[in-house]
Amino acid sequence: MTRIWLLLRKDALVLRRSPLVLGILLAYPLTIAVLVGLVASYANAKPRVALVDEDNLPPTVTIGGHRFHVDRTIQQVSRNVKLVRLSPDAAAQQLKTGKVVAVLTVPPGFISTLKEMVRSPRLEVQLSHGTISSRVDQQVQALVYSLNRQLQRAYIDTNLGYVTLILRGGKGTFLGRPISILGLERAQKVLARMPQTADVRTLDDFIHDARLALANTGDALQATAHPIELDRSHDRGRTWVLSANVQAYALALTITFLTLMLAAGSLAAERDENVIGRLARGLVGLGHLVWAKVALAAALALVLGLAIAVAFGVIIQVGGVTGGEPWRRLPLLVVGLLLAGGSLGALGALLGALAREARSASLVALLVVLPIVFLGLIPSEIVPPAGWASSALPFTHSFELFRSALFDLSPWGEVVKQAVWLVVLGGIFGTLARLGARRLLV
Amino acid sequence: MSSEQTLLSARGAGRTFGQTTALEPVDLDIAPGDALALVGPNGAGKSTLIALLAGALEPSTGRIERRKGVRVGWAPQRPAQYGRLSARENLELFARLEGEHEPEEAAARLLEEFDLPGKASASANLSVGNRQRLNLAIACLGRPEVLLLDEPTAALDPEQQRRLWERASALREAGGAFAFATQNLDELERYADRVAALRDGRLVFVGPADEYDRSQADTLFA
Repeated sequence: MTRIWLLLRKDALVLRRSPLVLGILLAYPLTIAVLVGLVASYANAKPRVALVDEDNLPPTVTIGGHRFHVDRTIQQVSRNVKLVRLSPDAAAQQLKTGKVVAVLTVPPGFISTLKEMVRSPRLEVQLSHGTISSRVDQQVQALVYSLNRQLQRAYIDTNLGYVTLILRGGKGTFLGRPISILGLERAQKVLARMPQTADVRTLDDFIHDARLALANTGDALQATAHPIELDRSHDRGRTWVLSANVQAYALALTITFLTLMLAAGSLAAERDENVIGRLARGLVGLGHLVWAKVALAAALALVLGLAIAVAFGVIIQVGGVTGGEPWRRLPLLVVGLLLAGGSLGALGALLGALAREARSASLVALLVVLPIVFLGLIPSEIVPPAGWASSALPFTHSFELFRSALFDLSPWGEVVKQAVWLVVLGGIFGTLARLGARRLLV
Repeated sequence: MSSEQTLLSARGAGRTFGQTTALEPVDLDIAPGDALALVGPNGAGKSTLIALLAGALEPSTGRIERRKGVRVGWAPQRPAQYGRLSARENLELFARLEGEHEPEEAAARLLEEFDLPGKASASANLSVGNRQRLNLAIACLGRPEVLLLDEPTAALDPEQQRRLWERASALREAGGAFAFATQNLDELERYADRVAALRDGRLVFVGPADEYDRSQADTLFA
C-alpha cells in the first residue's frame, strides 16, 4: 500500500509539473462535452418546412363572423418550425435535396371550403425520410391543432345559430342560400291550436323533448370540441442545460476522457522513462504499478468530478432551480466518482500496457474513448447491440450511477447495481492490465 | 565455487524476445569480492544478462538465484529515472522504495557523493553526464552488496570515473561484489578480476581476467 501511495504521489507531482498536458487533458473533454451538448441541442433546432400556398391565403379571413389573422397563426407555428413560402416546384426540389424536411400545401379552395363551414378543408403534408420526420409530423399536427382551436369558436357559434334557428324559427342562410325555418317553438304553438288527437299529443311531446335537448346543445358542443382541457403552467424546474442527463453526461464524459488517457499514458511512460525495469526488480510489483495508476485515475476523477458537481450546484443554487439534490448527494457522488475513475483507470492501464509507449498509449486511448462514449450515448432501446457493448464498458455505468446518485428519489438500488458493475469491470480490466504489463518489461 | 559462497548466480538463465534469442541459457556466479567484467560486441547479450541478474527482466528459461538478504543495485545502460522529478526527488523516491530508513539523508548523501545538483530542476534537463551520475546514485541506494553496472563510465568525466571505481573497489573490499558490462578493454584490465565474454547471445568465456588475453578479445570484437 505504501508503494502504491509513493507512486501515486510521484504521479501527482509529475502531473503538477506538466501544466500543458494537464490543461489539455481538462480542456479537451470539457470541449467535447460542450460539443455533444450542442449536437444534442441541435435536436431542438427548428426544422425548415416549406409552405406552398395554392389558395393565396389572405392576411385575414372572416369565418362565422369571427376574424382570423392568418399571418399571426403562421408566426405562432414558426416558434417550433421555420415556415418558408415556396412555389410547388421549388418545394418539391428542396424536399428531394433535404433543404426542407416537409412541405405543407394549402390547396386551392381551402378558404372557401373553410368559410362554408360544412366540410372540413384539407391541408396536405409531405415528409422527408429521416430521424426528425416524426418530429416535423408532430409539429404539423400541432399546427392543425392550433388552427382548429381557433376555428372551433367560429364553428360552434355558427352551429349554435342553426340550433337557435331550429328552436325559434326565422330566416337564415345555408350554403349561401337564404332559408326560412318554422322552428320548434312556433311548431308547438301551431300544434296547440290543432285538435288534441293522440298523434298531435305525440308530436307535442317530441317537440317538448327536442327543445329541452337542444337547449343544452351549447355545452355539448363545447364539450365535444374539448373532451379534455389542458391547463399549462411553467415552474422553475431545470432548464435543458442543467438537466440530470446533461450533468451526468458531462461528469461521465469528462472523467472517461481524462482517466483513460491519463492511466494509459502514465503506465506506458514508466517504460518510456526506462524506470519499469528498476521498479520491477522487487521495488514495486507490476500489480502494484497497475493499481497505482488505477488509484491515480480514481483520485483525479474525484477531484475533477467534485469540481464539476460543485460548479453545477452553485449555478443551480444561484439560479434558484429546483430538482435534484446538488449538495446532499455529494457524499454518494464521491463514492461514484472513485469507482468510475478506478474502473476507467483500469481500462486505461490495460490500453497503456498493450500500447507500451506513452505517445501510442495516449493515441490509442483517444481512439478508444470516442467509440466508448458514443456507444454510451446511443439509447439501447433504439440499437440493442450498442447497449450490450456499452454494458461491458464503464462509461454507461458511470453515467447511470451519477444520474441516480444526484437525482433519483431513491438512488440506492441503482447506485449499488452500477457500483457492482464498475467494481467487476474494474477488476477484470485491472487483472488484464496486470497480465499485459509484462509487455512493458520487454 | 560453492553455492553458499555466491551472492548471485544465473542457472541456465536465458531470454528470448518474441522469436529472437537475446541470451542462450547461461550459468554464471558472482561471489563476494568478485569484480566481473562482461565483454562482447554490441548485441552480444551483456545488457540482457545484467538485467536478468538484477531482476529487471524475467528469464525465459532457467532461473536467477540470489543469496537470502543480498541487496543488488542496478544501473542500466540508459538512465532509469523520472525526467520530471529533480535529482533529489528521484533519489528520495527510490530511497523510500528501497526501504531506506532515512530517505532524505540517503538522498542528500548521494547527491554530495556523486556531485549532483540539489536544486529542484527536472532531471530531464540535466546534462548527459549528470543523468548518468544520477543513474549510478540511484543504483547505490539501499546499500547494495552487489552492484550491476551496464557500461557505467560511457558518459562520465575522468574524475567521476575515478570516484565510481573507488566506490566499487570499496564495496568489493567490504565483502560485496560488482559486475560491469564494458566495451573498454583498459577498464577490464584495470578493474576486473574475472571476465565473462559473450558473443551472439552465448557465453564463450568465463574465467580469471589474466587468462583472458587481448587476442581473444580481438577475435570476439572482430
